[in-house]
Amino acid sequence: MSSTSLRSEIIKTLGFTYRNFIITKRNFFTIFETLFWPVIGLISVGLMSTYLDLKNEYFAFILIGAVTLSILQVSQLDVAYVLLFDVWSKSVRYTFVSPISSWNMLLGSWLFGVFRGFIAFSILFIASNTLFGIDLLIPLHCLILFLFGIFLSAKIIGMITCSLLLIFGYRAEIFAWTLSAIFMLICGIYYPVSMLPESIRTLAYIIPLTHFLEYYRSFYGFETSYPNTLQIGYLLSFFAIFSLFIFHLWALERARKRGTITQFSE
Amino acid sequence: MVAVRCENLWMIYRSLFSEKVAIKDVNLKIPRGKIYGLLGPNGAGKTTLVSIMATLLRQTKGKVEVLNLDNLIDSKEIRKRINIASGNPNLIWSLTVYENLRYYAMLYGIYDRRIVENLIKEFELQEFRDVEFNKLSTGNKQKLILARAFVNNPELVFLDEPTKGLDPPIAKRLREKISSMQRDLGITVILTTHYMGEAEMLCERIAFINRGEIVAEGTKNDLKRMLKMRDKIRIEVDSEIPQSKLNIEGVYMVEKDANQYYFYVDSVERRLWEIAKEVSKFAKIKNIAVREVDLEDVFNELAK
Repeated sequence: MSSTSLRSEIIKTLGFTYRNFIITKRNFFTIFETLFWPVIGLISVGLMSTYLDLKNEYFAFILIGAVTLSILQVSQLDVAYVLLFDVWSKSVRYTFVSPISSWNMLLGSWLFGVFRGFIAFSILFIASNTLFGIDLLIPLHCLILFLFGIFLSAKIIGMITCSLLLIFGYRAEIFAWTLSAIFMLICGIYYPVSMLPESIRTLAYIIPLTHFLEYYRSFYGFETSYPNTLQIGYLLSFFAIFSLFIFHLWALERARKRGTITQFSE
Repeated sequence: MVAVRCENLWMIYRSLFSEKVAIKDVNLKIPRGKIYGLLGPNGAGKTTLVSIMATLLRQTKGKVEVLNLDNLIDSKEIRKRINIASGNPNLIWSLTVYENLRYYAMLYGIYDRRIVENLIKEFELQEFRDVEFNKLSTGNKQKLILARAFVNNPELVFLDEPTKGLDPPIAKRLREKISSMQRDLGITVILTTHYMGEAEMLCERIAFINRGEIVAEGTKNDLKRMLKMRDKIRIEVDSEIPQSKLNIEGVYMVEKDANQYYFYVDSVERRLWEIAKEVSKFAKIKNIAVREVDLEDVFNELAK
């Protein structure tokens, strides 16, 4: 790839980052998503844990679940919204008539999701410490690896939503708000996956999010299901992203064949 | 030089229980550097055909070449060189005029803000530069949609009913803009429209599409000639004329509206006297008017 075309690809990718940024900046609802619900979630779970008089490590276990759910939800929404914004404004044809690739869309929107997710994490991190005295700080490089893993999980969920939208149309928009909650339920939001029924536990182990959660919690004395949990998480993430990218390309091709893209614009 | 070539093109929408043929064996050669009209009634397949050419839709069968590139193999390369504007003015609501253009420019790998500023100026949107899309008037929304279509300096622009729903003065100005942009840039414009006047004013060649088929193609005069319709004679009478008495040589078609009869003829000079003589046998002629057949008459005939 020449430097000109590399520059062009970067600009195309950042186009989606730019759009998500402007919409978030202008839309009170999206600011609410980043700040209000995550903080409400953390406070309610924190108060419940205080009432139950949980030991510090269990308190941290619960708060890690609440923090992860929030940053996952915030970050994945940006990826899901990349198509939904176009669907809602009936401008899908203008995006798909431009010479972009799927990865421009999915990467550009994810970059802004990482930014929003990081803001949400920072607020929750400080709130955990100041409101409940629970320090969620682990060695910095480990924290970065955990966060990056969660952001990859957000990308996975966003990619699923985008692909389902291309296949099922408007009916699939509900996945933008429900998928992350389902994932967290399976991956052990407030409990270890070992207590789940075996079939669901098997499913949990093939979802990278489970391993990232276990990794973070391992710093508070909790055992992981597998010894190299972080490596497994990353390996599964990259495999999932690769597979979902292929799935997304197939869904897009199907949408072009069936006229879904033009239907979205009518 | 051909801008778009379609060969034996078919588009069939399939679902689990049904099948709908939207485009039926279309063959078309659209020349470069002109405004080409695609005319047809609602649901004729105009938007489907344009969507295939613009790589938004994949055809079921047949071959399409856009700017000498295959639409299935080189779709990304085609997208760099084309653009589209629709008559449904929809862009991201909460982005301003500037932000919308800047965003779409970025999708073409263009970072230069001057291009965006120039388009805003070119389409007289300076006053609304920082106004959000949903707060613009319909006319300004349509101007922005049109400006967006020129963001990548395209060689080929698809305009899908670009003046739909606009007030006549705004529609007129947009038509003038389309015409001047095409002339100045030397690009190819493929225009779909319901408005015959628009096609008559803008298009050098026209294809009529009905029920997914191209039923006629050519210049305006070609089309009129093809249907042997050149002139239209309106005769107002005081009583009805028996249908059997209207089979006059050189009369292509007769339409009746209350006590008025419209005769579509090959030549008014040759047929007027004969028609008047025949009509006057059955009714008293109150008024006669003659005019040249326009595209609307051709359209009405082809859409039957």
